[in-house]
Amino acid sequence: MATIPLSVVKYIRSVWMAEMILAYLQIDEQGNLVKWGGHPRHYGLSNLTAGQPVVEQVNFLEGMLTIPHSHVLEFVRVGEGRCAHVHIIPLDNGTYVLMLDATGEHDRQQKMQQQLNELSILTYRQSQLLQELEAARQALREEKDQLGQASELKSQFITTLSHELRTPLTSIVGYAKLLDEAKQADSRSANYLTTVKNNANHLLLLIDNVLEQTTLEAGQTVLQSSRCDIKQLLTDLKSLFFPNAKEKKLVFNIEMQPNLPTQVTIDELRFRQVLINLITNAFKFTSSGFVRVIVGWQAERLEFSVADSGSGVSPEAQPKIFTAFHREHTNNATPGTGLGLAISYHLVTLMGGNLDVESSPGHGSVFYGFIQAPITDSLSLHDGESVLPHTSATILIADDSIDVRYLMEIYLEEDGYAVVGASDGAEAIILANQVKPDLILMDMQMPVTNGYEAVQQLRADNFTKPIIALSGSSLAHDCNYALEVGCDQYMVKPVSPDNLLKTIKQVLNKTNH
Amino acid sequence: MWAGEQNYLSSLLFQLESEHLITGEKLVVQKKICMIGDFSVGKTSLVGRFVRQSFSEKYLTTVGVKIDTKLVKLSDECEVKLILWDIAGNDALTTTTVSYLRGAAGFLLIVDGTRLPTWHNALNLHKAVTAQVGKKPFVMLLNKNDLQEQWEIDQTLIDEKTQKGWKLLSTSAKTGLNVEKAFHSLATQMVTK
Repeated sequence: MATIPLSVVKYIRSVWMAEMILAYLQIDEQGNLVKWGGHPRHYGLSNLTAGQPVVEQVNFLEGMLTIPHSHVLEFVRVGEGRCAHVHIIPLDNGTYVLMLDATGEHDRQQKMQQQLNELSILTYRQSQLLQELEAARQALREEKDQLGQASELKSQFITTLSHELRTPLTSIVGYAKLLDEAKQADSRSANYLTTVKNNANHLLLLIDNVLEQTTLEAGQTVLQSSRCDIKQLLTDLKSLFFPNAKEKKLVFNIEMQPNLPTQVTIDELRFRQVLINLITNAFKFTSSGFVRVIVGWQAERLEFSVADSGSGVSPEAQPKIFTAFHREHTNNATPGTGLGLAISYHLVTLMGGNLDVESSPGHGSVFYGFIQAPITDSLSLHDGESVLPHTSATILIADDSIDVRYLMEIYLEEDGYAVVGASDGAEAIILANQVKPDLILMDMQMPVTNGYEAVQQLRADNFTKPIIALSGSSLAHDCNYALEVGCDQYMVKPVSPDNLLKTIKQVLNKTNH
Repeated sequence: MWAGEQNYLSSLLFQLESEHLITGEKLVVQKKICMIGDFSVGKTSLVGRFVRQSFSEKYLTTVGVKIDTKLVKLSDECEVKLILWDIAGNDALTTTTVSYLRGAAGFLLIVDGTRLPTWHNALNLHKAVTAQVGKKPFVMLLNKNDLQEQWEIDQTLIDEKTQKGWKLLSTSAKTGLNVEKAFHSLATQMVTK
C-alpha cells in the first residue's frame, strides 16, 4: 500500500487543524492546567494560567476529570463563545481536553429543531383550542336540552292548566245558557245568568289569549289557510259589534273598498281574531265619537285600518304598545291583560304582514296594516256547507266530566241523536265494541286510558266510524297528534252547541258519501 | 428560602466555616447544576434572567448545552459559584443529556405551567436522572407564571409533590418572579448536603 508522504500528512494536519479550529488543554493528575494551544479564545476561554486548578479557569470541566475513559460532550457553548465538540481524554499522567468547532453543524441542527419544536407547540395549542371548542359546544348542547325541557314543561303546564280551566268553564257556560233559555220569563234571574255567562266568557277569552300568546312565542302556531268570504266576515263583524256601538252611542262603520275581492285565501279564524282585537280595543278606549274600519285589497294584500276618536296613545308608549302584557298606566281602570295587541301583531306578522299605529293623545288612533291574501282561483264545492239531513245516528260521548257529558247529551238528543256515555277511554273502547256507534266524541284527557290511547286501540280493533277529538289544548302538535292516531276532526273546548252539531253533521255527511 | 432553612443554613455554615476557615476567609465553593426539562419550558430564559437580568420573547431552541456561571452569596461568609448547564430540552433522557449530567451537584427541574404534558415529562426525567446519577438536590420550577389564563397545572398535582417533600416554586423568567429564590434555594441545598 502506498504511504502518504510525511509532508502531505503535515499539510493535511494543518488544513484539518485550521478547519476544526482546534483548541487543546493538558491537565496534570492534580487537576492543574499544564499547557494549552490552538484557539481557546475562539471558545470563550481566555486568561488561562498554567499551574492553577483547571476547573477554576475552565468551569465546564467541573466534575469531568474523574472519568475512566474518553468522553465527548457535543455542542458545548461557553458564554458568548462558539460551539464546540469537547473530547475529554484521560491519560496515565493527567487528562487531555480537545475542543473542535461545531458551530456550522450546530446552526443547521438548531434551524431544524426550532421548526420541529414550534410545530409541536402549535399542534398542542390547536388541540387545546379544539378541546375548548368541543367543551363549549357540549355546554351549549346541554343548555339547549335544558331549555327544550323547560319549554316542554311549560307547554305541558299550560296545556294541562288550559284543560283544567276549560272543562269546568264549558259546564258553566253551557248550563248558564240552558238556564237562560229555561228562565226567559224571570228578568232578574236572566240578568244574573247573563253576568255568569259574561264572566265565564271573559275567563275563556283570558285563557285563550294566554295560550295563544304562549303558542306564538314558542313558534308553534300553524296557520290554516283556506278560502275565505272576506265580505261575509266583515258583515259578521259589523253585526257582532253593533250592540257595543249602540250601548256606547258611537258611530261604527266597516267600509269595504271597491277593489275588495269576494274570496281570498287566508287563515280566516286568525284574521277575524286580529280585527276583533283591534275593534275591541278601539271601543274600549273611545267614549264618544266613532270607530271606523276600512278594508281594501291591493297586489295580493288585504289592507286594513281601524280608526277611533278615543284617548290616543302617547309617543313614549307607542313603541311598547305591541308588547305582551303592556298596559298604559293611565288605563288601569280599563279591564284587560294587555295581550290583545301583542297577539294581533304576532298573528299579522305570521300572515306575512305588518301592523302599526298612528296616534296622538286626545286625538284618537289609527291601527293599520296588511296581510298576504292571494285571490282564491276557483270555488270549491266540497266545503261541507251542503249537509244532508241525518238519520237517527248513535253517538258515543267519552268524557270523564259527568257535567260535560250530560251537557252534550242534551244538545245531541235535542238534535235527534241517540247518545251513549263513557267516563274514560277504557270504557269507551268496551262500549264502542258493544254498541257500534256511528260517531264518537272523545275527550283526549281522561284517566285510566286517555283519548289518544283509546283512539289508537279502536282503530287497531278496526273501528272505522268517525271520531271527533275534544280537547282543552289548542296547540298545533296536540291537534296533529290526535289526527295522527286516527281522529277525523279536532275541536277545542269549550265547544259551542252550534259548532259541535255542525261539525258532527259534516263528518257524518262525509262518511255517508 | 423556606421556613427553617435559614437557621439550618446558619448552623451548617458555621460548621463548614469551622472546617474550612481557620483564618476567617470567605468560603467560596464551586458547584455544577443542570437545567433539565422539556423543550420550550423556559430553561434558557431562566438562566438569562438569573445571569444577565434580561428576557426576550423570542424563542430560540437550545442545541447541546450552554454554560454560564454566576456567583450566589448565601451569607457574608459563604458564596457559591454556580456553573449553570442549560441543557437542550427533551421529553426523555438521551445519552447526550446523560453525558452532560456527570459531576452535577444538583439540578433544576423545569415545567411549563401552560403545558400539562411538560409536568409529566419532568416527572419522568426526574426518575431517569435519579437512576443515572443518584439522588441529588433539586428544585422543581413551574415556569411561565405570568400566563395565568393558560395555566394547566392543577393545585392537587402540586400539593401531592409538596407532601412528598419536593420543593416547588412558581416562577416567571419574564417578570423575574422567584428566579433568584430558585437558584438560591438550590445552592443552599447543595452546600448544606
